[in-house]
Amino acid sequence: MKKNVLMAFALLALHTLAIADSQWVLKQSTLTYHVSHPLHQTDGVSHAARGKGSCHAGECDFLIAVPVKSFDSGDSNRDLHMLQVTRGAEFPVVVVRTHLPESAATSATINADLEIQFAGQTAQYKQIPFKLVTQSGETHITGTIPATLSDFKIDPPSLLTMRVKNEIPVRVDMTWRPQ
Amino acid sequence: MLRKIFRNRHGVPGLVFFVCLSVAFAPSLMAQTAGMGTLTGRVIDASGNAVANATVTATSADNGQMRSAATATNGSYTFDGLPGGSYRLKFEASGFKTLEIPSAIVKGTETAVLDEKLEAGEPITAKPTPAPQDNLPNAPSSSATAPSLSDLGLSPEQTQGNAREQALLDKRAHMLKIHQRMGLITTIPLIATVATSLNAGGRNTSTASRDLHTALGGVTGDLYFITAYYAIRAPRVPGTETRGPIRFHKAMAWIHGPGMIMTPILGIMAFDEKNKGEKVHGIASAHGPVAIVTAGAFGAALLSVSVKF
Repeated sequence: MKKNVLMAFALLALHTLAIADSQWVLKQSTLTYHVSHPLHQTDGVSHAARGKGSCHAGECDFLIAVPVKSFDSGDSNRDLHMLQVTRGAEFPVVVVRTHLPESAATSATINADLEIQFAGQTAQYKQIPFKLVTQSGETHITGTIPATLSDFKIDPPSLLTMRVKNEIPVRVDMTWRPQ
Repeated sequence: MLRKIFRNRHGVPGLVFFVCLSVAFAPSLMAQTAGMGTLTGRVIDASGNAVANATVTATSADNGQMRSAATATNGSYTFDGLPGGSYRLKFEASGFKTLEIPSAIVKGTETAVLDEKLEAGEPITAKPTPAPQDNLPNAPSSSATAPSLSDLGLSPEQTQGNAREQALLDKRAHMLKIHQRMGLITTIPLIATVATSLNAGGRNTSTASRDLHTALGGVTGDLYFITAYYAIRAPRVPGTETRGPIRFHKAMAWIHGPGMIMTPILGIMAFDEKNKGEKVHGIASAHGPVAIVTAGAFGAALLSVSVKF
């Protein structure tokens, strides 16, 4: 009987180890999109991203989700307009997925391949460089995703009949900690 | 007083009054002239019973503009003011298969009728098509250990789309786009009206100068009220707090709105006094200052959303 119980615990422990070696959680984040218009330069900021990383056998899968509504450009009318053009009510969450080797956490820079779901479309960005600084067990990641409106089939919004530029680079500033 | 103004020999102030009164009908007239049509119909189930609360989505094949409507208790739905063209229609209702009609033609000023029958069954939810996977060195995986949205503490309510809210946003954006364009167009006769005021109000002015000023003022007022209509009638998004330069833009409307009503009234009084050979006096003498404040507030409202302070 005791043997069976011990065996069950051992199998459970092995199973747990096999499922996930370690986990990461997004502690804080600042995501900023930049929009260029002939009359305006606008930044929309969100601190509402949630993220989790799950590592197994030296490989990690990361998932980050940001509510589209959480981006604040300092003008409610512009935010509602952005929400409309990006179909934020229909597709309320921006989802970012990436896969990295666990050893990347100790590097100073990483090149990540990102899969971003936004506005009902999925776009992939290859080898996006990010800087990493690890301090007190936390990893601080910064970088810029060279997103464009056309990547997600978004019609550039216009003001006074002038359209914004297609490029909407997204600055990423995140702090991750192991769970 | 009004009868007197209408009966004056030049008839121009009367025209201004007519123009101001016609403002109320202008948006519907404009919609007709722009070739707006109506799409209506009824959604029923296999037994012929009405399907209430079904979501009908019309997507323009020309510009991708989307509008949604919910069916009433008798299964009916209506899209008013649709620009003429081809539309892709989607019918969604709980407990029924989603039905898509690739093309329905709406002709300007005509009413197209499209009745549809829904089959019982699980709705087919359209999902974004994933981009083709390349053999990237560290491409996102779909392994069993990869976290999911529920792992992030996001409830299905937070991640599910809301077609009605999107339709509301689409309608709002569409109306505000017209508001913006009409506001820009209004600026042209507004500037011209202010410019011609120099020759209309002085001691040695001609009737022709006054008539031109009055006519331009009338056009400005007409366009202004069409502009205002699209801002006032644009749907509000519940739970949205007004922040940023748009607050100033809206505050200015409390100045130029009443100003655009007062200015023509005072102008007509001043016009009448001038035509009688009198010097403009009394309350009519406020026409100029009120007009300047109104034009200034209008300009400030325009700048507040155009230039970042």
